[in-house]
Amino acid sequence: MINCPTEIAIEVKNVSYNFNKIKAVDGLSLDIPAGISFGLLGPNGAGKTTLIRLIVGLLKPKSGNISLLGHSISRKTSHLIGYMPQLHSLYLELSVMDNLNFFASIYGLNNSKKRNQRVEEVIKLVDLWERRKDPVQNLSGGMRQRVSLACAIVHNPPLLLLDEPTVGLDPELRVTFWKYFASLNEQGTTIIISSHTMDDAAHCNQLAFIRQGKVIAQGIPLEIKQATGKTDSTLEDAFLYFIHREDKIDG
Amino acid sequence: MASNTLHIAGRVAKQIIRDRRTLGMIIVVPLVVMTLIGLSFPDQGVLDYIAPAMLATLALFFSFLLTGISFLRERSQGTMERLMVSPVVRMNIVIGYLLGFFIFALTQTLIIVLFTIYVLGINFYGDLWQILVFQVIVITGAVTLGIFTSTFARNEFQMVQFIPLIIIPQIFLCGVIWPVEQMPDYLQWLSVVLPLTYAVDGLRDIMLYGANLYDVWLELVILAGFAVLTSVLASLTLRKGA
Repeated sequence: MINCPTEIAIEVKNVSYNFNKIKAVDGLSLDIPAGISFGLLGPNGAGKTTLIRLIVGLLKPKSGNISLLGHSISRKTSHLIGYMPQLHSLYLELSVMDNLNFFASIYGLNNSKKRNQRVEEVIKLVDLWERRKDPVQNLSGGMRQRVSLACAIVHNPPLLLLDEPTVGLDPELRVTFWKYFASLNEQGTTIIISSHTMDDAAHCNQLAFIRQGKVIAQGIPLEIKQATGKTDSTLEDAFLYFIHREDKIDG
Repeated sequence: MASNTLHIAGRVAKQIIRDRRTLGMIIVVPLVVMTLIGLSFPDQGVLDYIAPAMLATLALFFSFLLTGISFLRERSQGTMERLMVSPVVRMNIVIGYLLGFFIFALTQTLIIVLFTIYVLGINFYGDLWQILVFQVIVITGAVTLGIFTSTFARNEFQMVQFIPLIIIPQIFLCGVIWPVEQMPDYLQWLSVVLPLTYAVDGLRDIMLYGANLYDVWLELVILAGFAVLTSVLASLTLRKGA
């Protein structure tokens, strides 16, 4: 097991990644403190998903380094990560319980009593106990989203990376998700959430605005809003402010 | 690490069992094909010659196609991404798929063998268990070939296009319908590098001439080598996403 010797959960140093000639992530650096919800905000194509895929180890940086809880990304750090991709990424023929049992097993929850206990706990947490035996293909989009989240957290990872987890959720479910994220933070879990909606941004403890593969602003939401110099600024105003500022710098 | 292979095998098997229609077709379709072959070749001698070859061909065809499409879905549904982020290693996935498919592929083989012996009435001199052991090697190569090939397809349509490229030429060139010796020299050379040639030869020897596994050791070694090669290629080229 890897210990957590540092207050910085994720350290991204000068990381670049490109798809052929397109720079998806361009010399990006970020320090993400432990135990908070950290939002990666930006328009579609800004590089948020690529950055998450780099952090979970699905992509290798062309340059720069990433460390998770003080350790370089390797097979050993896979236990630290809970990952919820943009797609639901579930086995549709299998039931909610089968999906969770499978992901719990491959993360080493081999003791059947403990595994069943944890799977039950997580299913209740995402409020799907009544539908636990249903094949995932019979569930609505919102329910599948909840199963997907459950699969990401079933092994109790200290780092949770969620790629647009609130897309397609109704407002009530969105509130439930955010309450749940806050309770995970209280238990010490660090959550990285990508989103392009400022509604999600308001729930995060810290934010990074990303544009064209670069961080254009980082801080707590209040600080970011105050940086515009106006007292009544919203996060949308702040985002536009930083974009214009970057455009001026770039000439 | 080995336990993850078994978890993947169990999940693959469970997915097929839960998909009742696929499960039914795995059993019914080969029987329909064998019935048509039986009706098309009323001459008993021809049927004796074709039946063992069809056993190998159907095992290759179904294992290749089912694995290829299942693997493709693993990528297109995004579950491959979850697996690649987890502690699972590539070889766990390849071997897990192999074990998961074995039970269905071998059941299919057993049904076809019993059907060809007792319904089509071919002249059969071999041991059933030896046929099953031989088929394990054939199926292993077919499953790993399916996984390897699926790397080059981005959707089901593309995967299906590999059938005329990989399976159908083998049916014509590997002695399934007519003897390899009757083909032009350059095609005979081509048949030497195709795995179905050895699967057909080995099964014919076992079923029609009562050969045992020791007698067909060369075919077994070549088929096992093919299975090892394709499983290594499959795990090296395994793609993470669509």
